[in-house]
Amino acid sequence: MTEDIRALTARMADEPGSLAFLELAEALRRRGQLEAAYKVARGGVSRYPGLADAHDLMARVLSDQGDLAGAFDAWSSALQLDPMRTSALKGIAFLYFRAGDRAAALTHLERALEVDPDDPTIPQAISRLGTEAPAAPVPPPVESRPLPTPVSSAPAARGTQDLFEQLEGGGQGLLLVDGNGLRLGGRLTGADGDAMGDRVAAQLAGVSREAARATRLLGLGSWHSIALESPDAHLVLAQPTSDTVLLASRDPSMPMGRVTLLAERAARAARAWLEVEG
Amino acid sequence: MRALEPWVVQPLETFLAESAARLTLLMTSSGQVVAQHGFSRSLDVMTAAALGAGIVASTDELARLMGGAGFEALVHHGQRQSCMLAAFATPRGRWIGLVVFGPETSVGIVRLFFDQMIGQLAAAAPREQPSAPMLAENFETELDASLKALFGR
Amino acid sequence: MTATQTSLDRVTRVAGVRGALIVSAADGLVVAEQLMDGVDGQAAAALTGSLVGRLARTAESAGLRPPVFVHLRGEAGSVLAAPGPDDLVLVAVVGPEANLGLARLEMIEAAGRLA
Repeated sequence: MTEDIRALTARMADEPGSLAFLELAEALRRRGQLEAAYKVARGGVSRYPGLADAHDLMARVLSDQGDLAGAFDAWSSALQLDPMRTSALKGIAFLYFRAGDRAAALTHLERALEVDPDDPTIPQAISRLGTEAPAAPVPPPVESRPLPTPVSSAPAARGTQDLFEQLEGGGQGLLLVDGNGLRLGGRLTGADGDAMGDRVAAQLAGVSREAARATRLLGLGSWHSIALESPDAHLVLAQPTSDTVLLASRDPSMPMGRVTLLAERAARAARAWLEVEG
Repeated sequence: MRALEPWVVQPLETFLAESAARLTLLMTSSGQVVAQHGFSRSLDVMTAAALGAGIVASTDELARLMGGAGFEALVHHGQRQSCMLAAFATPRGRWIGLVVFGPETSVGIVRLFFDQMIGQLAAAAPREQPSAPMLAENFETELDASLKALFGR
Repeated sequence: MTATQTSLDRVTRVAGVRGALIVSAADGLVVAEQLMDGVDGQAAAALTGSLVGRLARTAESAGLRPPVFVHLRGEAGSVLAAPGPDDLVLVAVVGPEANLGLARLEMIEAAGRLA
């Protein structure tokens, strides 16, 4: 194994753009050298953002590191690039299982079984969930089928399940909060899988008002967004309407500009939803 | 929040909303209360006003001894709450503000919006009315009436 | 020139920066400042100190370490804040044309040297 890593490292040194990063990061991950694996995977993702394998690899590393939210984002990215990627479907099922949401875990495993009925690990995982594995279905038609809507592990307000569904990562790491600090939609989970959306929502209640006051009194007009860099995450706050706040939270490996774009897209989705539901 | 003069209400309400102050007392430099927020007993109001006016008078004298023009504000930091005393000019003479606040706000915020309130009071004050001479028997009646107004009774 | 003034100098030299100040976050008071005309240092200190404190509590509630940089964007400019040690925060008020990337780098580096 050590020889493999040495050879792969040498190859990466000779050709930094090589796809050898996939094997190298996986080898490091299996040896438990997660920090090194993360660095290699991160370099690979930034060089090949359109490669589902890279995001799948990053998700496995993050999952091993305990960054379940980051792993969810990465597997979601892999699925967006490759909707038939069973490893990502299984990975997300695992995360839902860890979060205690068996229904969502089962949904994703059943989807994986449809895509790859010959993978023996999938029926095993399904039976582990305490449900009998369904009979192998007829292979799906050629046209792509939409993913089942994941069931949120946290109680959601009426009609919010599809609020951020079309966005990168679904509703994970996105929170829509009203002026009283109550969560309207989205979810936020910590590294240990605990839902913390409601706790964070309560803190956000006064942020919009303070931001508006600061920009007004400093002659900067009305506020547009707040970008917050923590060593653990990149957060962006936006204002879909005058009395709501949207929070987008992503791993610090995601450039702040990209998190800002995500927040803007999520704010547009929130505005559209509020016009219908509000 | 209670005020003896209606033109004080809006500036004081704005200050309270922005500063998150727990207790606020506006008084003349002689300790006569003009408005209050957060006090539950009239005795506390009278005591705080008298003490506040006394502290400002003492520090004015201290500043004079040091050759200065006077202090803009005094801030006493406590573990659980802090207190700011500030004297300021109004069209109705020199007033004193006493503000008690907790860690949910900051002295910077309190001072920022206190200064804004001073400007708003100056703009809102009606033209000076000639005051009738104060008789001793009127004083107690007026004080009693003032306290009743400040406590909404 | 003191280290504080050097830090403020480097930040105010960035294109579009209208003023920089060092703030005691808990008090919202100015520790040092270098401001152009029209920038209210007292207001910037009080308001930014309060906002940064609230955002730090938000980050904590999300299980995150305190922020190392904050960017509040308004229609006509932005407020940038880089928390440093001992509850000090380096704050800059910038116009819409400011070189935000350079300002951010200078501020994060300077904030680390505050004492």
